Amino acid sequence: MKILALLVAALTPCLASGPDVDKGRSMGDPSAPMLFEIYSDFSCPGCKHLHDFVLPTIIQDYVRTGKAFLVFREFPLDIPAHKYSRPAAALAVAAARIGKYQTVSDALFRDQGAWATSGKVWDIVAAVLNPEERKRVQALAGESSVLAEVQNDVDRGKQIPITQTPTLMVTYKLRQQPWTQFADYGLFRGYIDALLKK
Amino acid sequence: MPFSRNSALKIAVIVLRVVMGGIFIYAGYVKLAEPWQLFAAGIADYEVVPMWAAKFLAHTLPWFEVLIGLLLIVGRWLRTSTVSTSLLLLVFFSLMVRAFAGGKEINCGCFGPNELISWKTLVRDGSMLAASLFLAAIAFRNRRTPA
Repeated sequence: MKILALLVAALTPCLASGPDVDKGRSMGDPSAPMLFEIYSDFSCPGCKHLHDFVLPTIIQDYVRTGKAFLVFREFPLDIPAHKYSRPAAALAVAAARIGKYQTVSDALFRDQGAWATSGKVWDIVAAVLNPEERKRVQALAGESSVLAEVQNDVDRGKQIPITQTPTLMVTYKLRQQPWTQFADYGLFRGYIDALLKK
Repeated sequence: MPFSRNSALKIAVIVLRVVMGGIFIYAGYVKLAEPWQLFAAGIADYEVVPMWAAKFLAHTLPWFEVLIGLLLIVGRWLRTSTVSTSLLLLVFFSLMVRAFAGGKEINCGCFGPNELISWKTLVRDGSMLAASLFLAAIAFRNRRTPA
């Protein structure tokens, strides 16, 4: 009985906390058997590759089919070459608050080469929003809760630890496994399908 | 009967063989227990072989580890098994040192997933390499020295 109580006490926080994310930065059915958390940095070329070429297939194969719930996590790297990653992440999180995360995320990755060196992040974001949305996103991006949400993702990633971007954290049956190889989608698909058969 | 130095060495060698064999069987087993794609991704992370080779190694290497582990324990074909173990560990150790020195924060892939290359893993694999070379030296010495 004591052991059962201890087991329940140990597992309760994991089960209750869930993926811990706002709806604007997630996709699919939260009750799906598998959880995908993508830790990425808007300035990272590998993240752009994942976003542009691999993610649509992942969404089609696993998210739309109800096999996985997808969560986007911000992981701006603290290196000089990525100095505009954090403001970009803050704008994306702010956009998520008004349901525009995907639109802003798509724009940031599409025009990565334009803002990652010049720092003109806002120009890219503003171009895909209407005047009302611009006003709201600009105001939200400076809010402490938005900045804290970005930092929360970073802290969460460091705890795992995430060692490179992009990393797709696969959680299945309370077990977490980071995946970083996206050059060969077949390898990823084979791994996920093997897990789902377990 | 006094316990001779020779007997002590023989016992030490047997213990070392069993320990090394056990480690190799365990290393192979934990990889086989996971979908092979995970190990292939781990090999690809080192960026030394093309993806097709990473896939081939992910399919074959764990079985090879189990096989040489068994040979070490049962004491058959000792020269072949100790030399194979040493060569394998030499390759692993060199790749790990290369990745660590290059600042790569990747998984070691030694005993399944989620173990980053660190000083700890380098010391562990370096010690295993030393032990394996010692076993190979003993295996070749025993061949030359008639019992």
